[in-house]
Amino acid sequence: MAQPIGTTKGPGEAAHEFTFITPDRDEAVKAGEFVYYEAAVDGQVRPVLGRVGGRRPVRLYPDAFLADPAVPPEAVAGMVGYVEEQPELFEVAVTTLGYYDASLHDFVNPRLPPRPGCPIYIAGDEMLAQVLNRLRQGEVGSAHVGTLLSRPAGAVPVVVDARAITSTHLAIIASTGAGKSYLAGVLVEELMAPHNRAAVLVIDPHAEYDTLVEMQAAPELRAGDGYRPEVHIIRPGDVKVRVSSLTLADLRYLLPNLTEKMHYRLGQAYRAVQHRFGQKWTRGQFKVALRAGSGRPVTDPRADEELDDMAVDSEQDEDSTVGALLWRVNQLFEQSHIFHDYESLPLADLFRPGRCTVLQLNEVDAREQQVVVATLLRRLLQARMDTEKGKAAVGDESYLPYPAFVLIEEAHNFAPASADVITSQILKTILSEGRKFGVAVGLISQRPGRLDADVLSQCMTQFILRIVNPMDQARVAESVESVGRDLLAELPALSKGQAIIAGAAVNTPLLCRVRRRITPHGAEDPDAPSRWQEWFATGQDSGRERDLSFLLQPERRNRGKLFKTE
Amino acid sequence: MQIGKIARSSSHIDYLCQVYQPGEVEQVPDPREYAFGRFVRLAAAESPGVIGIVYDTVLMNPDFGTLGPRLSPASDLAVFSPDYLNEKVTLVGIVAIGTWATDGAIEHGVPPLAVRVDTPVESLSATEVLAFHADGRGGVRLGYAPLLLAHGSPLARQLLLRTIEQLEALCPAARPQLRVLRTGLAWRAGVEPLA
Repeated sequence: MAQPIGTTKGPGEAAHEFTFITPDRDEAVKAGEFVYYEAAVDGQVRPVLGRVGGRRPVRLYPDAFLADPAVPPEAVAGMVGYVEEQPELFEVAVTTLGYYDASLHDFVNPRLPPRPGCPIYIAGDEMLAQVLNRLRQGEVGSAHVGTLLSRPAGAVPVVVDARAITSTHLAIIASTGAGKSYLAGVLVEELMAPHNRAAVLVIDPHAEYDTLVEMQAAPELRAGDGYRPEVHIIRPGDVKVRVSSLTLADLRYLLPNLTEKMHYRLGQAYRAVQHRFGQKWTRGQFKVALRAGSGRPVTDPRADEELDDMAVDSEQDEDSTVGALLWRVNQLFEQSHIFHDYESLPLADLFRPGRCTVLQLNEVDAREQQVVVATLLRRLLQARMDTEKGKAAVGDESYLPYPAFVLIEEAHNFAPASADVITSQILKTILSEGRKFGVAVGLISQRPGRLDADVLSQCMTQFILRIVNPMDQARVAESVESVGRDLLAELPALSKGQAIIAGAAVNTPLLCRVRRRITPHGAEDPDAPSRWQEWFATGQDSGRERDLSFLLQPERRNRGKLFKTE
Repeated sequence: MQIGKIARSSSHIDYLCQVYQPGEVEQVPDPREYAFGRFVRLAAAESPGVIGIVYDTVLMNPDFGTLGPRLSPASDLAVFSPDYLNEKVTLVGIVAIGTWATDGAIEHGVPPLAVRVDTPVESLSATEVLAFHADGRGGVRLGYAPLLLAHGSPLARQLLLRTIEQLEALCPAARPQLRVLRTGLAWRAGVEPLA
């Protein structure tokens, strides 16, 4: 029989809170810890779990006893006759979760606070492992992300429901350096483990996920049937967007500050190529369509490049609006290496069960990154819709007969709060409708304050690491309903690698210590002082001086003698 | 040294001791033996001693206020009515703070047994004071401190301060703890009332 650690004092501030008094000699009652009392529910005694919100001492030494740091207050108290070894007494506030109903996979609040004097127990590791996790470690759909923070490492595994993550979306939010990329790596490893074998795409604007490639060699991720995760890194130079997959809105976004007349011409040309060539047209055909509105229409797309020069040279002959628009379009298509007439990233290559594709966008312009992501997400959702509705068949480009999960780093750049960028709408569409078609996204952001509130609130599972910025804390509090006040108060106090997990993938919000990654972390900060030391240690400084020595100018004798009198 | 005897009490722990005068004992006690803050033992023969502290002094003079002429001069009164002169006495207030049993057991706090009238009162030597406060680990204890402060005497804090100062002198090993207690008390007794 477990020993009680405290005694119920009475109700707390809210209806679902109560307080208990404990000497806490073993220092077991930590913030976020789980305790329980026993209550009769439908004639059966059940443990009613609660989470410790905060504790305050009810016995404090007088300030005068603390005057000398070298003299412990216990010594002074002992001198005047108080000789208890541990005189502290704490009042602990508890948020009632309820008793766990295995059939509902949820906690049921008995709506009856414990009687004053009712003993309070610490929930055992085994009990917590059963009631906090919906799935056992290694079951299909499980993702073992770490262990319960209030218990010793490894005592209570935290296993989140990957089915919820990959259907009702995910948000990982934290300050810089709190470990969000590391946690994302852990999640990807779990999704690619033999018991999940997911189809995952990672949008990686900083090229920090390429270490995931080591999943292929990790023995922990191999299965007896020969399965091993496949990791496909797409370097920035290999990112291709077929121009015909761009919408008119994409083009307008890529060509900012157009005049109304230019917008009109652009729309006219876009509709013309769509009408004439359907879903597959080329840059040349588009420019031909643009010129169709000018005084010198061209019909041969192959002659377009030569005509470009002519058009620039003889602007007086051409409609100035079309000329300027053509120049902008040319600039866009020529300066960027991602737009292509025929090639695009095939969906079937990007998304395949058991394959993790990392799309590195670190050398791609910010607006182009947004267009790449928007077109990809649009194609993915369309493909899933077409496949589910039977409009796409095997062999079609838009045939994707399995769900897919897209993890987006720096999500605030793709759905900012202050502006409506090209990715915002498709992200909102996926967040609201993607579940039906098996398209889910995971948004990772270090600035939740800059992330669109609607987007954040529709991610039904949240991994929240340390957040110090008050604006970001406020955004999290307003957008993440499932996390209670007591846990949100912990946000600035979390250490690296500690996370609050809340939402659809867990039975109740909990504090988690993220497990070690199988693959190395790819987002380590460079150690600049060590590199500077290396510069001198390897003799590169003298080498550089030698290399530059020939550039030294000979001393100019006689310089300045003109005005010297001596 | 014997300083007097218990004359009366106003509570279970609050006693009044009448200091011996010339003629009552061979050696009249020096005023330092019943000074403010002096530790005393209230002990009858074969009974556990109650330990107390002198917290107040009152001078009784029945002659005070009778300013009229006298039939007999003082020198005659010493011969014909010596009792009259003996009515001028020094009374000291003593608060009981613990017990010291005959077997040497020391308790701090309210003594369970009251002291009888005429119980002799003697002052404690420095060695006895130290023994009464010894905590058995080289330090001192002041288990009666809350009792002194709760006693209600306006001089309670000053009395405790005086006691702590005595102990600081007697037990150098306990000075750090005693200093913490003293500085806190000194602030409350000396600075706060002037704020």
